[in-house]
Amino acid sequence: MFTIFKTMLAGIFRDGHTLFWTILFPLAMLAGLGLYFDNQAYSERLLGGVLTTNVLFGSAMVTAFNVMAQRNRGVYKLLRATPFKTSAFITAMTGARTALTLIVSGCVILMGVIILGVSLHALSLLMMLIVLLAGTVCFTAIGFIAANLSRDESNVNMISNLISFPMLFTSEAFYSLQNAPGWVQLLGKLQPFSYFVEAMSIAISPEGAFADIVMPLLILIGFCILCLAVAILTFRWDSERAAGRRFRQKQTSSY
Amino acid sequence: MEHSLIEAHGLVKAYGKRTIVGGLDLTIGKGEVLAIIGPNGAGKSTVLDLLLGLRQPDSGRVTYWTRHPHRHIGLQLQSTPFFPGFNALENLRMFAAFYGMRMKDRQLLALLGKCGLGESAKTDASRLSGGQQKRLAIAMTLVHDPQLIFLDEPTAALDPRARREIRDLIGMLASSGTTVVFTSHDMEEVQKLATRIVMIQAGAIQASGTADELLSQHQVCSLEELYIKLTEV
Repeated sequence: MFTIFKTMLAGIFRDGHTLFWTILFPLAMLAGLGLYFDNQAYSERLLGGVLTTNVLFGSAMVTAFNVMAQRNRGVYKLLRATPFKTSAFITAMTGARTALTLIVSGCVILMGVIILGVSLHALSLLMMLIVLLAGTVCFTAIGFIAANLSRDESNVNMISNLISFPMLFTSEAFYSLQNAPGWVQLLGKLQPFSYFVEAMSIAISPEGAFADIVMPLLILIGFCILCLAVAILTFRWDSERAAGRRFRQKQTSSY
Repeated sequence: MEHSLIEAHGLVKAYGKRTIVGGLDLTIGKGEVLAIIGPNGAGKSTVLDLLLGLRQPDSGRVTYWTRHPHRHIGLQLQSTPFFPGFNALENLRMFAAFYGMRMKDRQLLALLGKCGLGESAKTDASRLSGGQQKRLAIAMTLVHDPQLIFLDEPTAALDPRARREIRDLIGMLASSGTTVVFTSHDMEEVQKLATRIVMIQAGAIQASGTADELLSQHQVCSLEELYIKLTEV
């Protein structure tokens, strides 16, 4: 599985589009907005917002496109004809995506500290790491769900947008929802991204204690388990239809 | 089942009310080169999927010569499913890992060389020509040194030179003792490569035998003529 993880990671780092959207774009966004607003309190929110939004789009949308492209090209069908377990493949894929997220997040955090002057202590970094890991797995699973519900490129684009943007807009990633209509606040409480943002904000805040992130983190992990279960239940091997279990027919021993 | 690798009995597969495969019996013998022919939509690819265990039959059974068939079978699909952004060597490395093979790059390069892709190892798979992509797909089926390979229309949409290269590769594999099952619409190719031909129409075997047997039985001069005769409505 390590070979697959390593090859996938190398592939990601050679892909110009992926690098732009997952590394340069968040860095540019953080630097641009941070220097424009030039406010210490907002810098912390901005850092949390950029980190979480990057995971939302980098994990959910990129995974959705990758999974759908691989499935429609027949990669999964071919994979089924090998002894390799699909769960191991998904783990390797999620692992490569998580490694990329952590590297990108490291760069974003470094820029937040150097350019925006955000101060982070060791416990903050540890809490951010835990929150990032849970968020990446959760939104990668959502990416699988979006791909499972899609038939082609235009489909996956629409479905990923339909999932991602409402989550972004009903969260407090970049602004407070204190004065938002009640139904917007309610919608925010029903989706994982809000809890991801909340946990990240607490982790970044100088007053944030580990006990404070437990509740949003547990809810995020709950969503994570739910999304993984839905991703597995809706997983499709090929673009035509869901397939059954393999090699269940009666088999005989070797010559 | 002394000399057969796969035995299928009474395979039935339907999608909704449409029966794709209706009570098919088929044996794949060790060392043979079996061509499965038939019109588009006849059920050839579904038969391959059922034989490979990629789809469950509604009834019937498939018996394999080994407890772990997927470790000893290679598959090339009609499409060329490569990982986007990966070069030929990386795609091969991925599939070697899927089969649990710990292969060094020089071994993978040797396999690419055997399939005529030695110079293209570092080329992005999506940038390879149609013939090179098919050869890479075949290299991926061979990475675990299988006893049996399934090739679904290996020469479809290729130019004559690329077709010849693929045929030569299949011929080389067959002469080395690998059992080959392939589907094709090219009767010249079938005549040249196959030691046995199975004609499928409407999900059932309509004719089976060597090229000479089929020509003699149906009193025709060529496989193309036979194909036209058997697929006439």
